[in-house]
Amino acid sequence: MVYVVGRDEVLTVLYSRTDWYKVRAPLGTEGWVRRADLARTKLNSGEPAPIPPYPDFTTHRWELGASYGVYNRQNLVSVYTDYAITDSIDIEGVLQQALGTLDNRYIATIGIRHTFVPEWRWFSPTAGIGTGYQYIQDKVPPAPLQDSNQMAYASLGARGFITRRFMWRADWRHYVVFNRLNVNEELEEWKFGLAVFF
Amino acid sequence: MEIRLSSVLLAAALLSGCGWFHRGDKKPAQVTVEEPQAEPSIIEPQVSRREVKTPKIKAKNFEVGAYFGALSIEDFGTNPIYGVRAAYHVTEDFFLEGFLARSKAGLSSLEDVFPGITVVSNSGRQFTYYDLDVGYNVLPGEVFLGRGRAFNTALYVTVGMGDVKFADQDQFALNFGVGTRVLVTDWLAMHLDVRDHVFESSLFGVDKNVHNIEATLGLTTYF
Repeated sequence: MVYVVGRDEVLTVLYSRTDWYKVRAPLGTEGWVRRADLARTKLNSGEPAPIPPYPDFTTHRWELGASYGVYNRQNLVSVYTDYAITDSIDIEGVLQQALGTLDNRYIATIGIRHTFVPEWRWFSPTAGIGTGYQYIQDKVPPAPLQDSNQMAYASLGARGFITRRFMWRADWRHYVVFNRLNVNEELEEWKFGLAVFF
Repeated sequence: MEIRLSSVLLAAALLSGCGWFHRGDKKPAQVTVEEPQAEPSIIEPQVSRREVKTPKIKAKNFEVGAYFGALSIEDFGTNPIYGVRAAYHVTEDFFLEGFLARSKAGLSSLEDVFPGITVVSNSGRQFTYYDLDVGYNVLPGEVFLGRGRAFNTALYVTVGMGDVKFADQDQFALNFGVGTRVLVTDWLAMHLDVRDHVFESSLFGVDKNVHNIEATLGLTTYF
């Protein structure tokens, strides 16, 4: 603590960073105040200070996250964004890079996902379907017959709240890769990731 | 005196009798009086109510910047590296960070000894990586410069994954790091980082995990 603002003095809030608020005292002294302390101040009108509440996990709209996983026995790095149409139905877009010894694959998918009980904060099961494209970059000859394929997937997963804007997500996917052969290729993927929600 | 008293009693009896007679009577019908129409006011009050909106408090949780330093590429010497970084501070303790950087490998010891041998082509000497990390501020604190200056600092650890492109091949890489953030001002931070990028390589004919340690100095700004 470096400065004390007197009772009934006016404090100007400049901006926030995580749980701290940068404020300016009447004589121009600037400093950082904890969110919980600032919440005990009042506006000029006498109303309590409008500290924006933490976003509600159940009704959040956007998610942005990254995850590690395994796709077709290759290491998988994913980033994803997710928009909630309702509390239980989301549209998700995922960009992935699968790094293997024989080839590297770049995968882009879009799909919808249903969260079964969005009110369950710590663990809530999910299921989804979607479609996408994979692009194969071979490392070791021979080159694949097709270097890009359309795919469809079905997924099962779970999500949960960690703290503030922080959450985790786990996903298992079964892909059907459409190709020119008689039998479609089938692949499996699992991944675990961390995300922030808004 | 007696007469006066009797007249008073008589009057009282008569009055009470009146009251008796009226006992069963209906109540008088209620009369509604129409209110007179309000006179047209001469001055119309033109007070437009000002809607008081409390301004939103801007959140500055993003951190973006650049860094440079030295990267020791296993078997290929130590070389300059430069990159960009972006972080989102989720809580006071946790942050998510992304890195993108490039370096160029020198000659391997084998190439030094036998100048005729080429292990990696010239284009393959580019060492490019991206990382996605999660970080934790282990030791938040302050450093003091002289008597009157104090800077907020944090010692943090990061762990993450990403892709290293080296010798014209993309490899999955894990990275582990430790760093110090010194807030020069509230919007400008200086970073000192040491991170190890570990990936599997078979450049010399044997599969092995290679460690590529970098030490960097960076500047970031918050917005």
